[in-house]
Amino acid sequence: MARARNRIAGIISLFGELLITAGLVLGLFVVYSLWWTNVLADRAADKDGAQVRDRWATDGAAGAPGALDTKDGIGFLHVPAMDNGEVLVKRGTGTDVLNHGVAGYYTDPVKSALPQDKQGNFTLAAHRDGHGAKFHNIHKLKTGDAIVFETKDTWYVYKVYKTLPETTKYNVDVLQPVPKESGKTKPGRYITLTTCTPMYTSDYRYIVWGELERTEKVDHDRTPPAELR
Amino acid sequence: MYGWIWRHLPGNAWVRALISIVLVLAIVYVLFQYVFPWAEPLLPFNDVTVDGQ
Repeated sequence: MARARNRIAGIISLFGELLITAGLVLGLFVVYSLWWTNVLADRAADKDGAQVRDRWATDGAAGAPGALDTKDGIGFLHVPAMDNGEVLVKRGTGTDVLNHGVAGYYTDPVKSALPQDKQGNFTLAAHRDGHGAKFHNIHKLKTGDAIVFETKDTWYVYKVYKTLPETTKYNVDVLQPVPKESGKTKPGRYITLTTCTPMYTSDYRYIVWGELERTEKVDHDRTPPAELR
Repeated sequence: MYGWIWRHLPGNAWVRALISIVLVLAIVYVLFQYVFPWAEPLLPFNDVTVDGQ
């Protein structure tokens, strides 16, 4: 009798310990996704970013059009409203690219234009949480805020004109060269930022559209445009 | 389970405590290095693109 009771108590306490263990593992997973992946991604992005700047510096002033080289990044995105410094931009939006703490420009399903193109839509994606969380503060962007893209020789200054706080992941039309959903009907030089929303999940997508306001030549000291000072 | 492990560790209480810490660290390492990176893409928390898939 006593033995049977001991056995039942043993099974119950084993079950309880397994539950506690599962809780600890899930807690660790949160730590991993919201902290550790950022550490790894920022480390990778800093290294790659430094490499891009090195290449820009060594290519010489009259060098080739460095802006076109897409291997280790085409330039840096600066969004003062997001308050997250500079974001390296690379080609592609697969997890192999985005997980290294960068923003990627779309190659699929709608091919992105590049900033130097005469017209088109420069479409970018980055993580909202984890892996650098480069677009974490996308909700802080309001109409009129600046989005600045820095290449080797040019500052591209975009202004936000429309945000779409929630859409489905099937809405690939937001990436069209002329993003009709943002109210534009004529070709122009647009920029589109996409990430997931609400925070910590990816039920929907958050979209921000901007339009090129002006470009500035990069001077010898790389003086940033007024928006970044 | 934890009681069983504790009883089967060698040495006195201090040695057992030390071995326990090492075991915990080893498990955390394996989780962070192998298990979580594998599990993460399978979970719907971090898809950021519009791709219709």
